[in-house]
Amino acid sequence: MSIVLIAARQEIKSLRREKLAQALLIVFVGMVSLSSFIGWLTKKNVTAIWQKVKYQGLTTAPNPFANVPDLYYLRNTVIYLVLIGALLAIVLGVASILRDRKAHTADLILTRPIDSRSYLLGKLMGIGLWLTTILGFVTLISWMSIALIIGKALAFGDSLHLVAFFAMSLIFLLGFVLLGMICALYSSRETNALLLPISLWSIITFVLPQLGTADHPVSLLNPVPAIANQGGAFSILNSVFSPLSTTEQFKKASSSILGNPDFIGSPTVGITVLALALMVGTFVLLTSKRDRLRRTLDE
Amino acid sequence: MENVAIRATGLAKAYGEKQALHPLDLTINSGEIFGLLGHNGAGKTTTVNLLTTLLEPSAGSLEVAGFDGSRQASDLRRAIGYLPENVQFYDNLSTMENLHFFARLSGIVKPESRIREVLKYLNFTGHDNERLGSFSKGMRQRVGIAQAILHQPKVLFLDEPTSGLDPVGVRELRDVIVSLNRDLGMTIFMNTHLLAEVSKTCTSIGVLRQGQLVYHDTLNSTLLSFPSEESLEEIYLQIDTAKTT
Repeated sequence: MSIVLIAARQEIKSLRREKLAQALLIVFVGMVSLSSFIGWLTKKNVTAIWQKVKYQGLTTAPNPFANVPDLYYLRNTVIYLVLIGALLAIVLGVASILRDRKAHTADLILTRPIDSRSYLLGKLMGIGLWLTTILGFVTLISWMSIALIIGKALAFGDSLHLVAFFAMSLIFLLGFVLLGMICALYSSRETNALLLPISLWSIITFVLPQLGTADHPVSLLNPVPAIANQGGAFSILNSVFSPLSTTEQFKKASSSILGNPDFIGSPTVGITVLALALMVGTFVLLTSKRDRLRRTLDE
Repeated sequence: MENVAIRATGLAKAYGEKQALHPLDLTINSGEIFGLLGHNGAGKTTTVNLLTTLLEPSAGSLEVAGFDGSRQASDLRRAIGYLPENVQFYDNLSTMENLHFFARLSGIVKPESRIREVLKYLNFTGHDNERLGSFSKGMRQRVGIAQAILHQPKVLFLDEPTSGLDPVGVRELRDVIVSLNRDLGMTIFMNTHLLAEVSKTCTSIGVLRQGQLVYHDTLNSTLLSFPSEESLEEIYLQIDTAKTT
C-alpha cells in the first residue's frame, strides 16, 4: 500500500473519532438537510400571501415562485456551505496537522522511510474522501427532499446539475481544508493555528466582497452573489478583489449551476478560481519543509 | 569496519549563531548499548535528531547501520527504530490501530501477526483494542517500544526512555532494553540523565556538555579509570567538573 493511501486511511480513522469534527458535521448535515424544507416553507408562505394579496386585488404581478426552477430549493445550501461547511473544512485541516504536532508523532513518522510530501498528500486525500462521502450523502438527501417537495423525481438534467453543484462544493471546501492545514503547519501556537484561517475566511467571505460592492456584511450572507457597485473606484476594486473571494466565486458558480433566475452568467470563472485556489494551496502544502510538521507548539 | 553501527564525523548543528552541537566524532560498534549523558540542554536530543535524520546537520557526516545519512537517508530510516521523549501517539485510536499505522509506514505488508508477536515479546497483551487515551505513561512507553521495533531495526534510538516512569516502570523498561540487545542483537543508543539507568544497562557511555562530547569510553573502562569514585554519579560529576574548570 502506498504512503498516500496509508496516510489517507489513518486520517479517515482519526476524523471519525474527533468530537469537534463530528459536532460540526452533524450541524452541517442537519442544516443542509433542512435547507430544502426551508425552501419549500418559503415557497408555501410567499404563495399563500401572494394569493391573498391577489384576491384582494392589490397586485397583478405573477406569483414570484411560478417559474422557480426545481433546484431553487437548494439555494440555502449554498450559504450553509460558505459558512458552516468552510468552517468545518478549516477545523478538519487544522486538526489533521496539529494531531501530529501535539502528540509528537511527526517524529515517528519522519523517521520512517517515507516522503513527507506523500504523507501530507495522503492526509489531504483522506479528508477529501471523508468530505466526498458527506457530500454524497447530502446530495442524496437533497435529491430526495426536492423530489418530495415537487411531487416527482428530479429531471435527469437537474440531477446532473445537482451532482455538479456538490462536486464543485468539494473543490470549494478542499480549498479551506488546505488553508487550515497550511496555517497549522506554519503557526507556532495552537490557538493561532485555528484563529488565523478563521480570520482569513472572514476576510475572504466578508471583507473582500465588500471592497467592491459596499454591501452590508449581513447581505453577504445571502446566497445570491454580491453585485458590484456602479462607481469608478468600486468597479476597479471589485475587478481586483472579487476573484480573490472564493466564497463569492462559489456563490456565483452555484447560482449559475442551480439556475438561479436572479443571476445571469457562466460558472466557468468561478470554477476556475476555485480550482486555482486548490492548486495553489496544494503547491504550498507540498513544498513546505518537512521540519514544519514536527515543530513543537509554544503552548 | 563492518562492526560499526553508528559513525559521526564532524557532525555539527547550529541554529544561527547558536552552536547546538559542536563537531562530533563518535563511533559506536554493533551490539553496544550506548548511553549519552548530559545536563538538560546539553545537546543530547539534537544529537539523536541528527542521527535519526530528523534534523539536517550544519556540517559533518553520519552513517548508521552502514547507510550514509545524506545519500541513503531512506535506507538508513529503514534500519533504525526511534522512541522520542514524550511521544503521545493517537489517543483516540487503539494500540492495534496505532501500531498498524506505524507498521504500514515501515513497509510491513501484513502487520497483524507481527504486532501480536512484538506485543507478546514485550509482555503487553490484552490491550490490543484499548484506546491509548486511557493509558499510563508506562503503558504508552511499551507501545512506543513496540512501534520502534516492529520492523526489526538494527539500531534503536531511545530519547530519555524512562522519563516520567514510576520505579516499577523504569525497571521493566530497563529489562526490555537489555533483552532487545541480548535477544535480538540490536544496537541501542540511549539519551538519559539518569545515571542508575546507565550503570545497569549500558555497555558504553558518552558525556555531552554544552554541545561538546567531553567523554566516551566503555562502562567497564570508565569504572576502572576512576577507582577512587564510589558510584557512576561521582564519576560523572568528576568528568563534568574536570572539563568545566
